[in-house]
Amino acid sequence: MLLRMRRILKNLDYTLLLSIAAILCIGFVVLKSATVNASVKFDTNFVLRQMLWAGMGFCAFFTVLIMDCSVFAGFSRWLYGLNIVLLSSVLMFGKSVKGAQAWIPIGPIRFQPAELVKILMILSLAKFLSDRAGRLNTWAELIPAFLYVGVPLGLILMQPDLGTGLVYVAILFGMLVVSGASLPKILLLIGGGLAAVVSWITGHYLWGWWMPLKDYQLMRLVVFVNPDVDPRGWGWNIIQAKITVGSGGLWGRGWGKGPQTLNEFLPEQWTDFIFCVLGEEFGFIGAFVLLLLFFILIWRGIRIAGQAKDTYSALVAVGVVSMIVFHILQNIGMAVGIMPITGIPLPLVSYGGNSLLANMIALGILMNVHIYKEPFII
Amino acid sequence: MTVRQQPVRIKTKKRIQIILLLVSLAFMGLFSRLIWIQLFKGEELQKMAYEARFRDVAIEAKRGVISDRNGRPLAISITTDSFYANPPQIEEGKEAEIAQQLSGILGVSQTEILNQITKNQAFVWIQRKVDKEKAEAIKALSLKGIHSVEEPERVYPKGALLANVLGFVGMDNNGLNGIEASFDKTLSGTPGTLMVEFDSKNQRIPEATQKFIAPVDGSSLVLTIDETIQYIAERELRKLAETHQTDRAGILVMEPKTGRILAMAVSPTFDPNAYNKYDENLWKNLLISDVYEPGSTFKTVVMSGALEEGVVTPQDTFYCGGAIKVKGGTIRCWRTGRPHGYETFFEGVQNSCNPVFVTIGLKMGQDLFYKYLNGFGFGQKTGIDLPGEGTGLIVGQKRCTELDLATMSIGQANAVTPIQLLTAFCAICNGGNLMKPQIVQEIRDASGNLVETIEPEIVRQVISPETSKTVLSALETVVSQGTGKAAYIEGYRVGGKTGTAQKIIPGGGYSSTEFIPSFMGVAPANDPQIVCLVVADNPKTGVHTGSAVCAPAFESVVRDTLSYLKVPAQVVPEQVSASSLQAVTVPSLVEKDVQAAVAEIQQAGLQASVIGDGAQVIAQLPLANTQILKGNSVVLYTRMPKNAGTAAQIPAPELTGKTKEEILKISEGVDLSFEIVGEGVAMYQDPAPGTLIQAGDKITVQLEEEKEPSEEPLDP
Repeated sequence: MLLRMRRILKNLDYTLLLSIAAILCIGFVVLKSATVNASVKFDTNFVLRQMLWAGMGFCAFFTVLIMDCSVFAGFSRWLYGLNIVLLSSVLMFGKSVKGAQAWIPIGPIRFQPAELVKILMILSLAKFLSDRAGRLNTWAELIPAFLYVGVPLGLILMQPDLGTGLVYVAILFGMLVVSGASLPKILLLIGGGLAAVVSWITGHYLWGWWMPLKDYQLMRLVVFVNPDVDPRGWGWNIIQAKITVGSGGLWGRGWGKGPQTLNEFLPEQWTDFIFCVLGEEFGFIGAFVLLLLFFILIWRGIRIAGQAKDTYSALVAVGVVSMIVFHILQNIGMAVGIMPITGIPLPLVSYGGNSLLANMIALGILMNVHIYKEPFII
Repeated sequence: MTVRQQPVRIKTKKRIQIILLLVSLAFMGLFSRLIWIQLFKGEELQKMAYEARFRDVAIEAKRGVISDRNGRPLAISITTDSFYANPPQIEEGKEAEIAQQLSGILGVSQTEILNQITKNQAFVWIQRKVDKEKAEAIKALSLKGIHSVEEPERVYPKGALLANVLGFVGMDNNGLNGIEASFDKTLSGTPGTLMVEFDSKNQRIPEATQKFIAPVDGSSLVLTIDETIQYIAERELRKLAETHQTDRAGILVMEPKTGRILAMAVSPTFDPNAYNKYDENLWKNLLISDVYEPGSTFKTVVMSGALEEGVVTPQDTFYCGGAIKVKGGTIRCWRTGRPHGYETFFEGVQNSCNPVFVTIGLKMGQDLFYKYLNGFGFGQKTGIDLPGEGTGLIVGQKRCTELDLATMSIGQANAVTPIQLLTAFCAICNGGNLMKPQIVQEIRDASGNLVETIEPEIVRQVISPETSKTVLSALETVVSQGTGKAAYIEGYRVGGKTGTAQKIIPGGGYSSTEFIPSFMGVAPANDPQIVCLVVADNPKTGVHTGSAVCAPAFESVVRDTLSYLKVPAQVVPEQVSASSLQAVTVPSLVEKDVQAAVAEIQQAGLQASVIGDGAQVIAQLPLANTQILKGNSVVLYTRMPKNAGTAAQIPAPELTGKTKEEILKISEGVDLSFEIVGEGVAMYQDPAPGTLIQAGDKITVQLEEEKEPSEEPLDP
């Protein structure tokens, strides 16, 4: 065991680990000023709680390293089954407030299965795809992969949780690409899907077609195209997010001095709009540093995928990377006004135990792939 | 534990490179977007952020009080509630209910309110300056998203009193008319600003940075107006307007020594508390904005100038033959049918005799006439602190013809504003100083401390105190004996002048049915305390002369004002009559024995001058029953040798009203020849009666069918 510990420590990707720690620290700093008013209002020390979750996250991170993740390939069916069960239970027992992720109350903790199911999806889909790697050139092989993801995706959309649904699509896309699927066919499917969504929304508005999305979710997509449709309602967030980030300029307004932040122009700015707070108070410099750290993290992740010992591990790593990349792109893209508003947290920075813990586990799995890239015999 | 090894395929590695590429591109995208919005659009977005947060809430300063010269308030500011909505704060689904409740209280249509409160704005007015009871009712509902703010509202406690002078303020308490407009800056003070930081829900943040600049409440104005005198003037004006069915009318009362305006009444008027319910035309102050041809009241100006320059003296005599010929036309006297005949200067004034004033004006000549026209301020603004003052319209000196000069001498041709005329009259009465008419005498700050006293301002001296005195005594006789008898006030020496101007027909010429009668006077005449001008536009009840329409109103206003001001009653009017200015009636002397006639004349206190050496009087000048002042002479014509070749000058006899036979009879006796034109009785003669002519000269007499004397004389 001691030997294994030593081996693990020796094989750790310290660049990845340091970038994770740095991002977490930036998160604490930004969270502090983002919750100046809210910590009083809710009588909660957000930063302390986030630190506690981060501590638990590290525990989970290192726990994941204890044994080779590729063992999960063996019981991917169980993982898939657990995934379906969790999602179904959310539908049955879950609670949700308008737009937020559904949770299942477990004691004092609000357990948000949506965070965990992404990891379960990655672990099970990696197995499904690694079995079919290299053969995913025909529709006959591709369609089952879509269906495989489609079932849990459907359950997610029924919550409805558009954000997590999109993460699933991103994971699927990333892993399909790496598992050698025909690129034109993937693009055709994704493009076709987009076209279908557009015509569906059009149909919904014009002819009242049934729509799995709630109106408020739909509105987010519509206002993304034209925020002025509803500048005090849904468009408000798009406009205010852009204003908040932009008003930071090069150096930012200074820590705790961002007027937009202080006055909470963005709803729950410590979660989904945390990047706006960073942008306003630390300016371009702050945003650039965070973006750079994220890029280092992603780059290390992709490097790990490339060095993985087998296809399964590589796909798992790519799945984690896809998930985190999508979160980053979507969240920051939303803050700077190039993505529609969907409630997706910024990994490691946004406040929220479930998300932080899930991401730490996911990164642990990534690190796991790195540590066990060579046969590991005790 | 066994791990099934599945080596990573080359293609997978390649695809991983693709992923890295895609991720890099995506990050580049984010990166460029950050550069764009933070570095290029940063400043603009910062401004937007600022605007999103800060709202300048103007804290309106309380508008200053306007009071009369005794401190009685005429315009005050009270605090009222204005209601506004923050549409984002209104609970969804409750809009219709709220609109219905508000509509019930405010009496505004429900849809209108609903439209307002569902607007996509952070702030909308629902209704401003709401009545107290309504405001209480709305507040009692305590509707979410509906708020009230205190706003000062202007109230005119005396209603329409002095409305055209005070003016009114708009919704935002900005002066729109009258003193409210001309003293807007003084009255409105400096609004304060509360820069309030709002949060995303558009609610004020209690601890947030606030910049507060306290408002400086507006200064108060103390007018020269006396509320009581104003009240008297408005009361009499209403009476006048109702009795005579005037289109418009005005009464202006001033203090001649200072140029301060004591009352300024305009009819019809409006209530400034609800100004927008009245026609815009009623808002203006026609006493300062509108011009008219003043008619005979203007003769006071002409005589002042003429006396000052010595062109005429009170001892001069004139002759009215019913009309006077000037280059370019004939100016008739208002009493064409019964000409005034031989008149002294004072009589000419009393009679408001046009030929007398035409004679005076022509004698002055253009240069002198314009000297006084300009000197008294005609054709220039008086500079009164009220908006919309008219300049008047003066015939240009360069293109002024003799006929123009003659017409101007009787107060036509030039258009003046009432304020110009009365300001000039102040100078005539106060010893010759043209004052700047004054409406505001003090400015006090919000707490009542004196900030500024506005002293009376002498513009220039126009005539000497002596001339002023002479004019005043002449005007006094107008009231005691002349056309202004209706203005006589028992116990006071009043001087005045009537005027009845023909209205100009749009497009040119004078109307023969529409007139502007007026009366302008001063009291007491020996120590002028007040001057007053009463003007009526187009009275429609038969009489339209200044003496009939305006003199009574003048009398009432001045009487009540003098008594209000406790001006002690003075001389009994008989004393005026007993003075050297007493007039006597010329007896009928024709066909009498010369000796007897001379005796009769001397008995009446007049002097006789006999022409010729006959024993019987064949004609007299002035005619019988003419009023002349004591000491003046009466010319008696007796038979004189024809063609005697004497170089003696004789005054032309008056032939007015005589028949052809009578004229022929005269012609037999005097050494003059007559050319008789037309049939009927003599109307005009040339040379005019009284003109000194050489014996043997020819007099042209025009006869016309006798008409009844006009019942509506043009100009008493």
